[in-house]
Amino acid sequence: MILDKSLLQRLLCITLLCVSTSVYAGEYLSGPADYIYSPIVEEGEREIDTKFGTQTPRSSEDNRQSGASIGFGYGVNSWWFTELYGKVIWDGNNSQFDAVEWENKFQLTETGQYPVDLGFLIEIERPQNRNEGYEAKYGFLLQSDWKKWVANLNILMQGHYTGTENQGTYFGYQGQIKYRLQPELELGAQIYSWLGQVNHWNTNQQQQSSAGPAIFGKTKLGHKQALKYNLAYLWGTTTASPKNTVRMQVEYEF
Amino acid sequence: MHNIYIKQLLTAIFAMLLLVKIAYADGNVIHIQIQKGRFSPAEINIAADTKVKFIVENLDDTPEEFESYDLNREVLIKANSKASFYIGPLSPGIYKFEGEFSPETAQGVVRVK
Repeated sequence: MILDKSLLQRLLCITLLCVSTSVYAGEYLSGPADYIYSPIVEEGEREIDTKFGTQTPRSSEDNRQSGASIGFGYGVNSWWFTELYGKVIWDGNNSQFDAVEWENKFQLTETGQYPVDLGFLIEIERPQNRNEGYEAKYGFLLQSDWKKWVANLNILMQGHYTGTENQGTYFGYQGQIKYRLQPELELGAQIYSWLGQVNHWNTNQQQQSSAGPAIFGKTKLGHKQALKYNLAYLWGTTTASPKNTVRMQVEYEF
Repeated sequence: MHNIYIKQLLTAIFAMLLLVKIAYADGNVIHIQIQKGRFSPAEINIAADTKVKFIVENLDDTPEEFESYDLNREVLIKANSKASFYIGPLSPGIYKFEGEFSPETAQGVVRVK
């Protein structure tokens, strides 16, 4: 049970980031362009990351909510991946620049060392609506491989701070299972769920939860270049969730 | 009340990881070198259902990436440095790997028996 130097460096980094966003409060937001985080960091990887999603509301009186983002990510070393991106949202009538986000992912265990690979995420968002202050999302990322299967479970919290709107810290999780059929096409399923405030969970029907099938793939474009994608169709499983969500992510790695 | 559940959950995850670390502390270790754009050894035999640690040392002056879809691993090894990762437990079979930056020469297989 020895904490090596590298693990201590990672924990110090996480502590500093957590202190800088010390949990004040916030509102949960399961955005249309959300995606499943993986704890695995690839050193030296550079990527242009695009995401898009659209949600059909449960009530026909509400407008469809859509969102997209584009960002640049870099694997700084074998345990720290950082990405900066901008998000836009639109609801059928209006579109607007929504936020700038800074995502940091720390791989805490060596790949494959344990049955579960462990990582930590901290994402800081500056919404364009300054009444929302800043938003922080953070939590543990878990991944496990078994034969050709890969499973992910991320335990997350999300809150706003320094703003006047959307108080509270929310607790949720993401899950994914994937069968690695071939590099260009892998099959699986995803679930995104927010259970309510950390100190006051919602009833089952008030929780927001969407689940459905997903496909994944990667194709090489040439020397040190590749295109990765994943696409999911999610059904809302509670009355508080969108009726359905289509979301996709395309990454250009170089 | 739920704060207590969350703390218990996180404590349980860490306890599980520490226990597993003890269990795998004495696992097998395989040393691989990259020199002139080739892996040495290029053929590695390991036992089925065993976890193995790979320590890959790059002796070249250019970086290389150990890449294997079969093993689900993609690891950068900087010039004149080492990187390590674990594979397995695996079923019997042949698992290919290559160096992404010099795939014409840097190729190898893991034979699991």
